[in-house]
Amino acid sequence: MFRDPKPQKISLSDWSQQFKLVGEEQIKKFTYYRNPEWGIYLSPPATFMVYGARELKRLKFDNSMASLRLWGFVFNESERLFRAKQIGKRVIATMGDLGTVPVIIMAFPHCIPFYPECIWWTPFFKESTVLLDVATEMGIPEAACFSKATLAAFYKKAYFPKPDLIFASTGASCDDYSCIMQQIEDLGYDPFWLEIPFRRDDLNPPLGGLRQEEYLISEYERVWNRMVELTGINDKNRLIQSIKKANRLRSLVANLKKLTYEASIAPLPALEMMTIEFGNLYGYADSDEWLNILEMVQETICNRVKQGVGVLEEDAIPIAWITPSADPLLLNLVEDFGLRIVETEYVINQALVPIEEDIESFRALARSFLKASLIGSTKERVKRIIDGVNNGRIKGVLITNMIGASHCAMETRLMEKMLSDVPVLSIDVPAPFGITEQLRTRIAAFTETIKNK
Amino acid sequence: MSLMVDKKYEILNPRERFGLLVIDEKPDRCNIIPLITSHAAAVTGISLKDYYTNGTAMAKAQIAAIEEYGHDAISIFSEVGIIAEAMGSEFIYPDDDLPVLKKPALTGLKQTMDCLRQPDPKKDGRLPVYLEAIDYAYSAVGDKIPILAYVPAPFTTGMMLSDPNQFLLDTIKNPQRVKKIIEISLNAAIEFCYEIINAGGLPILVDPLASGSVISPKAFRDFALPGEQGLINFLHRYDFDVILHICGDTTPLLDSLILTGADLISLDRVDLNLAIQKLAKKIRIIGNFDTTKIGFGSTDEIAKEVKEMVRIGIKAEKGYIASTGCEVPIRTPVENVKTFISAAKEVGWYWG
Repeated sequence: MFRDPKPQKISLSDWSQQFKLVGEEQIKKFTYYRNPEWGIYLSPPATFMVYGARELKRLKFDNSMASLRLWGFVFNESERLFRAKQIGKRVIATMGDLGTVPVIIMAFPHCIPFYPECIWWTPFFKESTVLLDVATEMGIPEAACFSKATLAAFYKKAYFPKPDLIFASTGASCDDYSCIMQQIEDLGYDPFWLEIPFRRDDLNPPLGGLRQEEYLISEYERVWNRMVELTGINDKNRLIQSIKKANRLRSLVANLKKLTYEASIAPLPALEMMTIEFGNLYGYADSDEWLNILEMVQETICNRVKQGVGVLEEDAIPIAWITPSADPLLLNLVEDFGLRIVETEYVINQALVPIEEDIESFRALARSFLKASLIGSTKERVKRIIDGVNNGRIKGVLITNMIGASHCAMETRLMEKMLSDVPVLSIDVPAPFGITEQLRTRIAAFTETIKNK
Repeated sequence: MSLMVDKKYEILNPRERFGLLVIDEKPDRCNIIPLITSHAAAVTGISLKDYYTNGTAMAKAQIAAIEEYGHDAISIFSEVGIIAEAMGSEFIYPDDDLPVLKKPALTGLKQTMDCLRQPDPKKDGRLPVYLEAIDYAYSAVGDKIPILAYVPAPFTTGMMLSDPNQFLLDTIKNPQRVKKIIEISLNAAIEFCYEIINAGGLPILVDPLASGSVISPKAFRDFALPGEQGLINFLHRYDFDVILHICGDTTPLLDSLILTGADLISLDRVDLNLAIQKLAKKIRIIGNFDTTKIGFGSTDEIAKEVKEMVRIGIKAEKGYIASTGCEVPIRTPVENVKTFISAAKEVGWYWG
């Protein structure tokens, strides 16, 4: 019987060694879609490495059962989506919207939302340029956002099943990704387009905000109607329930962030935390099981905080991280240099804002979306971080840029300017297998700068 | 312009193709994995001794074979004595042939089980050679090509630990001794699998000496099956889909093969139609082109018969891998293997 050992980050082979202690009953206990035949997912990282996720050989992972469960579930997602289709569920792709459309989709029975663009991690986990090269051959320039891997995945049909429906959001989303979505349409897919309004008009509230709210409501109604057309079901009570479930997920993640980022010793590594934050988008294609996993993670974190133990040194230097890294290894690397993430402004903060439950559902969804930091100004995006710097909680800021992603090109310089009171390291995430000594040296220098300040 | 694919050309790489197979999805075409093992040495022109004593050489030869033929997996393997050797059996290494059993670990009347050592896969015998080969191949091409590592099952290893004739006699005269040898061999195989997995290889079980040509169905159930089941259970803990290969005529064993728990079964001298009828609803089928024919047949004959085989094979409900019934003979003409693969590629399509 496996019991959590003293918390630490361990390698893939360490996890394999630990996995020997995991009992059969523990392995069989956890399933997705409650299917005991193929729904078991509690496997060590080595399993997924054997199936091609080569970077796992170099990554370090949290050593708790909750994290084993988390990784098994996350790495199993591709199979899960195929299995969903095999058992008659509808698989719905949502692109470019960051967290709201899935709440609508989950209101329909047997409908599974997923984000094809999350495939951008695949080239890094596999240390492979296969998908990026195919996208390049299909006309996406080499210097485009790594989300171009999505185009190749749609073309190859081996990473997720053919979606029953595709919702594609354009407007105030990444320009590169908008182009990629159009290319996907050129492949013969038939996306249902909706538009995200331009940034909230902070200078002219409430009129600017109100107009955008009404516009978003009308867009969400279109999404709803298309789903009704697909499923033949039109039950708004189910949307209310779906919102409640989304809020449970959002509040759980908010609590995990608070517990982890405010503890005296980091109870969970940054890599697992980023994975948790991204799960907020759609629950990795089985939101019920994802909620169970998060509850287990919460219990683990609470125990660690209570015992005053964690996975990093107590004197690790607290920093904030802006924009997620496509390469998971970077998160490991930063911690290896003695840094600790205590605040994040990943683009998925969009899926963290609570949704009001006592007003009409579409309005609640629109308001939640418009309240989030990404749709606000750059100033708003960095506000929490500046507050953290001012109260001494944050000692440095790391910004990872995606070459080609328009929001990075537009905002990084502005952010650097606004964060002039604190050391800032801005790096372009290199292509798979591309973390060089030079990059390591820059992170080392950043760490030294903070220490000497 | 629509880029939606409707033509018969390869969209997936071997890794993607194999990945779909093991989740019960049909890939663009069937996986084509003839058992190209030591034949890879002949493709690259290195000596067999170099191939099976030098992991990097083995991996490079396998990669060169893939480049030459375009099949769908790397096969890390030379011969079935590898675990027995690490446990104490002695082998001769001819320069241009596969290792030959010289002295089994259990030789003579006084030999007891104590003389069998539990091998350390990182140190003993040529197990490190295999691990080095897996590591090299995985680093070089593991993102695009599955790395299959063949592991002798306990019954076969047991036979290589003893005088083979005596071992077979003991299945009748001294079954407890045979069972003990198999139990010890199982532990050794599990440790080896464990290291193979950590290196990036997918263990495949081979139990050629448990063939219906060698033992009876009862002996299979009593002795070979428990060892296979033990190893398969271990690999299922990791959620791997397990391939089991048994050489020879397994027609009398077909019903028992389900009991092994294997997810893919690699067959040799069996009527493919019969195998599909009996197994294909529960197990994926691999096989089973006559290795004599690929070694010595004409290319016309090979092309015709491979197409017939693949047309039957792709009807298997849970999936099919076009393969040879056993290892491609070492000195098989390159043209013959190319013919096998191009014929399979011509008719093995699921998409389009």
